Amino acid sequence: MKLNVKVRRYDPESGKPPYWATYEVPAEPMDSALSLLLHIKWHLDGTLTFRKSCAHGICGSDAMQINGENKLACSVLVQDLVKGDGDTISFAPLPGSPVIKDLVIDQTRFFEKYRAVMPWLINDTPPPERERLQSPEEHAIIEDATKCIMCGACTHSCPSTWADPDYLGPAAMLKAYRYTFDSRDAGSAQRLPIVDSKDGLWKCYTIFNCVQACPKEIDITRWLSALKRKAVTAQY
Amino acid sequence: MRTYGTNRSNALNWFLHRITGTFLIFLLITHFWVQHYDAQTATVVAQTLSSEQIEQGVLPEYSSEARAAVKAKFGPDATVTPYDVVMLRLADPVYAVLWKGFNILFLIFALHHGFYGLNNILSDYIRNDMGRLVARVLSWSLALVLLVVGLYAVITAGWTY
Ligand code: SF4
Ligand code: FES
Repeated sequence: MKLNVKVRRYDPESGKPPYWATYEVPAEPMDSALSLLLHIKWHLDGTLTFRKSCAHGICGSDAMQINGENKLACSVLVQDLVKGDGDTISFAPLPGSPVIKDLVIDQTRFFEKYRAVMPWLINDTPPPERERLQSPEEHAIIEDATKCIMCGACTHSCPSTWADPDYLGPAAMLKAYRYTFDSRDAGSAQRLPIVDSKDGLWKCYTIFNCVQACPKEIDITRWLSALKRKAVTAQY
Repeated sequence: MRTYGTNRSNALNWFLHRITGTFLIFLLITHFWVQHYDAQTATVVAQTLSSEQIEQGVLPEYSSEARAAVKAKFGPDATVTPYDVVMLRLADPVYAVLWKGFNILFLIFALHHGFYGLNNILSDYIRNDMGRLVARVLSWSLALVLLVVGLYAVITAGWTY
């Protein structure tokens, strides 16, 4: 079939505002949305810019707004986006961060927030002879949250993040959950005050956009609620 | 790199927001029941008035219990207005403690719940820190004024009856 692929283009060097460009792209129902962009780049317009690497939902580099929803381009199929021949698919950059070019956003602040929650194991006790062990039950508590690939689909779907650029957002706070609830971690005293602040947990109004956007189907809001309860019990 | 989360904890306000929210459901239902439906508390309005009737000064037809209670208190010729019925309940010494306590709790919970929510909205729309501080101080001051007015109204209601 042939599809009309609309892409939100922006070239900062041209001095012109962003605009929609439309391309006619041949596609099969089982093609990924990413393959449409690759077709444009390889055969129609080499200036089109977007991020991708693994093409298999692992690296998290190709989150973008597809038909108005935040998705991973490599992990969504054409047949789930259109009904048939001549239909339209739109691609736009993730909303809520500055656009560098076309579909590429500036992720500086996204990763700043990630680093701010100390997303690493904090434990000053001397390491045991072999690795620090974790039981399957202990792992089950954080397993869902460990699936995050830091694609940013969640944080860039969150109205609280759009409203307040300082808000840590779901991706960073999910990392805070993942380490705070890790049985081997002892860093709650350092990590909790960062998420229990005006930039953190309390701006999550359980809107659930993040859960809907997450390509790994992580129950983000549920884990953030557990983190909220932890922050409250840590205080009182 | 910018620093995040340097401010003090907000866990208590968030927690109270959950607690007050849960309580408000029951407080509201009780308030509605007592004020508008329960025959025991003698405030059943048997009839809905149209806006023309209200303009003409027609009063609602109260149940016989309500009318009897007001007439017993104010004499056989007394008119039974909604105000009289509510004041009558608040003038009763036993009910007064119960309902005034209830209404004070309702007042405090509703104010905290509402103004915490309002502050969240304000800080979503006001981007700079100074503006947020001004909005916070103004809104909580307003809450305090409303608390004083509300306490005054609840505590003094029914005194002259
Ligand atoms: S939680 Fe999901 S949507 Fe958010 S960054 Fe991780 S994988 Fe992406
Ligand atoms: S290209 Fe790696 S996740 Fe899509």
